[in-house]
Parts: sequence; C-alpha cells; structure tokens
Amino acid sequence: MANENQVTFPVDEPVDFVIVGSGSAGGIIAKELSTNGFKVVVLEQGPYRRATDFTHDELSVENLGELTGGDHRVNQQTFRQDANEVAEVRATQPAFYAQTVGGSSVHFTANFWRLRELDFKERSMLGSISGTNFADWPISYADLEPYYAKVDWDIGVSGAPGPNDSFRSRPFPMPPIAIKSSGVLMERGASKLGWNAQVEPLAILSKPHNSRPACINCGFCMGFGCEVGAKSSTLAAMIPLAQASGNCEIRAECAVFRVASNDQGRVDEVFYYDPDGNERSQQARAVILSANGAETPRLLLNSASDAHPDGLANASGFVGRNLMWNSHSNARALFEHPLNDFKGVQVTRIVHDFYETDTARGFYGGGGFDGRPFSAAVPIKYADSGGAPDQPRWGTEYKANLEHNFTRSMSIFCGATSLAQDRNNVTIDPTHKDRWGRPSLRITYKDHDDDMAIAKFLQDRAVELLDAAGAEKYWRIPIEYQSRGAHLLGTCRMGNDPQTSVVDKNHRSHDVPNLFLCDGSSFVTSGRGQPTMTIMALAFRAAEHIGTAARNNEI
Amino acid sequence: MISEELTRRIFLRGSGTFVGSTLMRAGVPALAAVSQAACSARDEGATFETITTAEAREIIAVAARILPTTDTPGATEAGAVYFFDKALGSFFADSLEYGRMQLATFQSGVAKAYPGAERFSDLDEVDQDAYLKANEQTPFFQGARILTIFGVFCLSKYGGNRDDMGWKLVGMDGPPHAWSYPFGYYDAEYMKEQENGE
Repeated sequence: MANENQVTFPVDEPVDFVIVGSGSAGGIIAKELSTNGFKVVVLEQGPYRRATDFTHDELSVENLGELTGGDHRVNQQTFRQDANEVAEVRATQPAFYAQTVGGSSVHFTANFWRLRELDFKERSMLGSISGTNFADWPISYADLEPYYAKVDWDIGVSGAPGPNDSFRSRPFPMPPIAIKSSGVLMERGASKLGWNAQVEPLAILSKPHNSRPACINCGFCMGFGCEVGAKSSTLAAMIPLAQASGNCEIRAECAVFRVASNDQGRVDEVFYYDPDGNERSQQARAVILSANGAETPRLLLNSASDAHPDGLANASGFVGRNLMWNSHSNARALFEHPLNDFKGVQVTRIVHDFYETDTARGFYGGGGFDGRPFSAAVPIKYADSGGAPDQPRWGTEYKANLEHNFTRSMSIFCGATSLAQDRNNVTIDPTHKDRWGRPSLRITYKDHDDDMAIAKFLQDRAVELLDAAGAEKYWRIPIEYQSRGAHLLGTCRMGNDPQTSVVDKNHRSHDVPNLFLCDGSSFVTSGRGQPTMTIMALAFRAAEHIGTAARNNEI
Repeated sequence: MISEELTRRIFLRGSGTFVGSTLMRAGVPALAAVSQAACSARDEGATFETITTAEAREIIAVAARILPTTDTPGATEAGAVYFFDKALGSFFADSLEYGRMQLATFQSGVAKAYPGAERFSDLDEVDQDAYLKANEQTPFFQGARILTIFGVFCLSKYGGNRDDMGWKLVGMDGPPHAWSYPFGYYDAEYMKEQENGE
C-alpha cells in the first residue's frame, strides 16, 4: 500500500500541475507531463494498491466494495429517475467506479473499442433529435487516431483488425488473446446469420510488452484488479513511469473537496482531506481534473464561489448535464458441452454489424455485442443470479443445475448508444454526505426511449445468434431503466461554443484559463459502449496540448 | 459488474444494512484477521463465537435445504454455518440483531404450521422444503440464502467453502487459477480444426 521511492513536493509552493484522479485519464496525463519535465502532484482518493494486493476474493471485491469505496453507508450516493423525486441512497452506487490508484482502469473488463469516424459527426449525419443535446464532437476520428495508436503501443492492446473498423495508422502491437469457447460460439452463430464475429481488442497483454507480463488466464478480470499487471491499467502501464521520472508525486487516499480560484479568475489551490482526515491544500500553476465523469462535475459544483456561483467552470450551465451510461442488454444461454468460460479474459469475439444508426429502424442508435461468461465467471454471482428464470433458486434441483450449468453457460452482453439529455445529470445532493463529509453525488437518470429501443434491438439479435450457435436453452434478462452506470460520460462536454460546452477541444475550461478537464466527462456522444480506450486517447491528446501550452507560456 | 439484484438483497431493510461497515472502515488487514480465525474455527470444529448453538442448529438446517447434501457435498459439508458465525460477528455485524429477529419470526411460524414441532430443525426434509417454499419471500429466507451462497462459494479463508468444496462443486478448481488452453469443448474443437487446416 506504500508509495515509496517517489519525489515529494511542498504543499505551499506551487507545482506546475495538480491532477485530481489517477485513472484512465489522470494516470496518462501525469505520466506524459512528468516525463516531459513538469512538476506534478496527483491527488487520488483511493489507496495505493499494487498488483500483489489484488485477489480473487469475490466476496470482498464484488460484495463488500473493496475496490469501490465500501458500502453505501460509508460511500453514499443518491439516485432518482426524475427531478421531481427526492433522491435516495442506493445500496449499489449509481455511479460505479473504482477508488484506487489507477482508478477504474484497474477493475474494468478491458474491452477496448475505438470510436469510429461516424461517432464524432453523427449530428451532422442524422440531424437533430428533439429534446436532446445531440451534437457533433469538435474533433474528428482523424484528430484522435494518432493517440489511439499511442494507447495501443504505450498502454498495451492485443487484437486484430475487424471488417468494420475505422482506419488505423499502426498495427496492433501484439496478437489477439486466443479464442475461447464463447468466442467460437459467437463465430458459429454469426457465420450462420451472415454477420461478422470479429476479434475483441483488449487492454490485456497476449505477450510480454513494455516490461510487463502476458495474461495468465486467471479469469478474474471483470471487477477485479490484475495480480500480474497484464491488464493495461494506468496503475500497471503509466504510474510507474510517472514516478520514475522524479517529477510526479502520487498522493493516495487524498480526497479533494474544493478547487479555489483567485481574483484573476485563475485556479491556484486544491483543497483535500489527507489520509488522516485533515484538511490540506496544494498550490498549483494549473489544475487538471480527471476524477471521472461523476466526480469531476461534483468537484466543480462543490467549488462554487462568489465568482462562480453555479460552480466552477459552469457559466454554460452544462457542468453535470448530459450524463450518458450507454444502454445495455443481455441474453444468456446454456450449451451441451462445457465452455469453462470462467477461464481467461471475459471476451474474445464481438459483433459490430449493428454499430451504425439505421433510420429504417425508427430510432437513433447502434451498438455491438460480445460473448462472455458474465456471471459464470465467478461462483457467488452465478449461484445467486446465473440460473434461468424458470429454474429453482434453492434446493436439490438448484444444486444439480449449478453443478451442471456453471461450466456450460455464456452470455451475450450488448452495449449501445445513450442520448445526451438535460434530465440525466450529476448534481449535489442537498442532504447526504460521503465518508469524507463532502456533499454526495446525486444522479438523476432515465434512459431515452431510443436507448431502450436499441437495447431491445440488440438483445433480439443476441438471441438469434445464441439460437444459431446451437444453444440448448437461452433467455433474456429483462430490459429495465438503468439505475446504475459504470460508463460516466458527457457531464463536462467538449465543444467550440462556450454556451453549450464546458471545455474546448483541447480540454481547457472556457471560463478558467488554467483549468483543464479530461475524462469521460469530455465526451459529446456516448459511443457504443466501451469508452475507456477513447478516454485514454483523449488523455494522451490533452497532455500533448497542455504540455505545449505550458512550454509556450500560454496557460 | 456486480449484480444489483444480489446487492439489493444483501442490504435488507430494518437494520438499515446487512453488510456492516465496521470492518470495511478497518480495512483489509482486519478482514484478514477475521478470516484466519474463521478458518481455524471451521477446521477445528470449534464452538461458535457469535451465534448460539441453538441458532447454529437452525442455520445448518436451513442452509442444508438451500444447498443440500446429495451425492456431492452441500452447505453442511462446506461449513457454511461457520461463515454465518464469523460474518455476523464482524463485517455483517450490523445485521445480527435484525437477523435474530427474523429467525424468531421464521421459527414462530413452524409451530403454527406443524403442530408438535417447535422449530424448523424438528421437521423432516419434506416439511422443511414446504415451509421454506412458503417463506421464500421473507427477509429471513432471502438473507439466509445469500449467506449460504457466500458460505459455500467464498474464499475458504472466510470460514466456509471447506477445501474449496463449493468451487469444485461447480467445476472450478481452486486457486491459483492460472489456466492453459484449451479451456472448454468448443475451443478445443476449434483448435483441432485449425491444426487440421479446416
């Protein structure tokens, strides 16, 4: 848990940058800026766990919130579906993310889709959608592609090009992870239907890369940290390089509660609770918030002042708005023979034939789906909720089903678009506090009708595929309005117009010249369901622009 | 991603939470200490530290119907009751009193439904199953079910899952979980086809 052998900076002398958050974006920006000579302090609210601290303890990780900040009484968030409701504390965190150095890149499943050209300009392609904030990005795929390639090589991505992919300037740095039985069945079903089951790009190493080992196929990827560092988290791939630069101090278990601005309209000090709960602050020449798409807007809103009465960097009123979780659906199946899909990575094959919006369907949206064990990766989750709805949930037959079916199960998991809406947002709860005493996150969320429609459409295709693949039995998980999301997107969107966006295309606040925001909050549209690759590419791009501006004395 | 359905049921109403936060605040080392103690208790057949012997008898009886002993081991052989004991004395401690209250309610119905019986463990298996079926939606049964699942399939260090019995039951060998290809029937078949140039 220690963060030994690193530089320490005095709190009362300004460093070049304070970065809030060490996850997919913060970890990359810290590495890029520190290795380019800038003095950087990273404030991370979670502890500093090393690879050897990660376990296969399903009870602790999945049920006691070991990596996500503990249970709902010590880590309160509230949820409501509609702004007229009083938001209530949820047993499961509505905004689901890891609290640990490396952030959610530590516990994510490591599915690693790039966006495509169309994702950046769908508003122009399709026109406006009434009642939404559907818009184009201020950057294109071509703008971001070099940074996708950098993620591939610097972070470590295994894979192979698919028939529907957008162009790439460099090949994958390593071959795909070997196909699993769920992948074989995806190929079998897709082939019969005339679809393409393509290789899933993964932020998991198939070969040793950048002094990190290859995956050992333990199967504890989804929700767990990787005990060998083969999952390409920023903890594994970036933080060690940042610390080795001698210019980066990682302050773990430091929970930021306010960013202060001065009379010149610039931010200059970041206030936080240290591991002992004492109030501290760090002076900085510039501040970068990469706390995730829920925590970044919360911090801005909690940093309201006389000069920024609606929250820091919120002259547009767009801070916290347009939360997008991606829509999801799921179908499950049993096959005649054992898949043993609990072994190895979750996903080896995906279908992206329904990625684009087809106006003939009558609704906006597209997505993809993958074959994976899902609940059949781990025994507690499977024993509790992995069975078919018509099967008993306890007793002799239940037990016999567990014994026979755990190894024969697979799921098809569908990820798709969410539309940006005012009504889906992050705000500050007026009543509840988190474990540090900070006003809690309040999530208001109800999927758009089109989000529900694309989830249903993809689930229908998933069922067709399972049938074509020869499943003995398959069933749908009912599609309900979501009350919890792990993809925290859109809440401080980038844009050229200060009236309708929070940061410019280089992640600089429209309102505060030395404040930058880069994480899932920067998204303008949701993509199709696997955002981490794009968050990381944005982070490399942002770091380059921020570093150049700093060197040119333009911050 | 964690099952929301599962978590919703862990956090039963009444006492506010079924997952106590004491140990979460204390952190992983404290969890490890509890785990070691739980392991020793199970393996040595020690007396219970949190629940009474009478409560343990009822928990064993209920857990044995949720995951029965058949031609393979069940909750009894996995030592699930030791998980109940340690969990309700530590990281689920906030639910102990609420759980006791629910157990009392559960037991009080036995005598009404089965004159002559005083408690669930007095019933034969047929009547036990019928009584559980009638009480499936009660907080007691829901809590007992998930704790039984935890007790059978958790890491064995928490007191249950003796000798990784639960994992072996579903076909998952115990740690260290470093697997080699092929994993299953279909990828093995695929590999053969590839090797044969099909």
